[in-house]
Amino acid sequence: MEFLESINWAILAPIVIIQLILVAVAIIDLVKIEKANGPKWVWALIVLFINLLGPIIYFIFGRRS
Amino acid sequence: MNQWMTLFKKEMLEMSRNFKWIWVPLTFIMIAVKEPLTLYYMPQIIDSLGGLPEGAVIELPVPSAGEALAASLSQFNTFGVLIIVLITMGTIAGERKSGVAGLILVKPVSYAWFVTAKWASSMILIWISYFLSYFLSWYYVGVLFEFISFMDFLQSFFVNGIWLTLIVTVVILFNTFMKSPGAVGFISIGIIVILSILSSSLPHLLEWSPALLSAYANAFIMGSNLPDELLPSIIVSVIMITLSLLASIAIFKRRELA
Repeated sequence: MEFLESINWAILAPIVIIQLILVAVAIIDLVKIEKANGPKWVWALIVLFINLLGPIIYFIFGRRS
Repeated sequence: MNQWMTLFKKEMLEMSRNFKWIWVPLTFIMIAVKEPLTLYYMPQIIDSLGGLPEGAVIELPVPSAGEALAASLSQFNTFGVLIIVLITMGTIAGERKSGVAGLILVKPVSYAWFVTAKWASSMILIWISYFLSYFLSWYYVGVLFEFISFMDFLQSFFVNGIWLTLIVTVVILFNTFMKSPGAVGFISIGIIVILSILSSSLPHLLEWSPALLSAYANAFIMGSNLPDELLPSIIVSVIMITLSLLASIAIFKRRELA
């Protein structure tokens, strides 16, 4: 796994952190919100397992206002 | 003016309740910073994906700092524009659907203030996200490749920002006479795509087109000669922004009274 060692993790860390923040905020909101636009567990799967885009899709389409 | 501030504050409050102040800047940062990183690690990525015959040698030209920053700029014009349209397409149309606009406009609120407060709040959100992400991308390019002069960065930032402003204004314009947020988003994206395709395929006929602003912004960071058409296209864009804003106020007034 020399590929993983050749990467400077200090450079990549901010992106990983941003991704974690987005997922955390989306999940907290999903738990607190009264009713989502569709079943909540589907949204939880989308937020958790679609990389990068999941939380964004939830914030745009998942919240009904 | 006091009334305008109240409307404006209401918009700001709504945006923080929607978490827009968290996810829009973060998303912008992610799409912008991703580009210089993938360019920088491209040789390793190709290596690790494998599938190359033994001994195959690929010589990838090392991208220049300008190219890396221009790659992030082009991300703003694809994903960035998509996100801008998606978050602004419901600002008025959605409120009208849910009845909030009706509740506000029963009171003696100026229509012009209602529209401009919406416009200003979206503008602030988008410009702050855009600045943060573009600045970070500039910094990353500086660390990974080499630093581009800050003045060039700022100039390209403002030139491309005018194009993004025009997009926000056009989306608000469609908001004022369409009922469904989906239709607003669809038509705005359609118009933006048509404008971009037309201007990039016929650059000699439409050299003042606002859609070419992003191409002119690239000229700043690539260090190439500035095109003479830069100033006309900025002027055309500013005129189009003012006209669409005035038109949206006028249309909104008539729609609501009718």
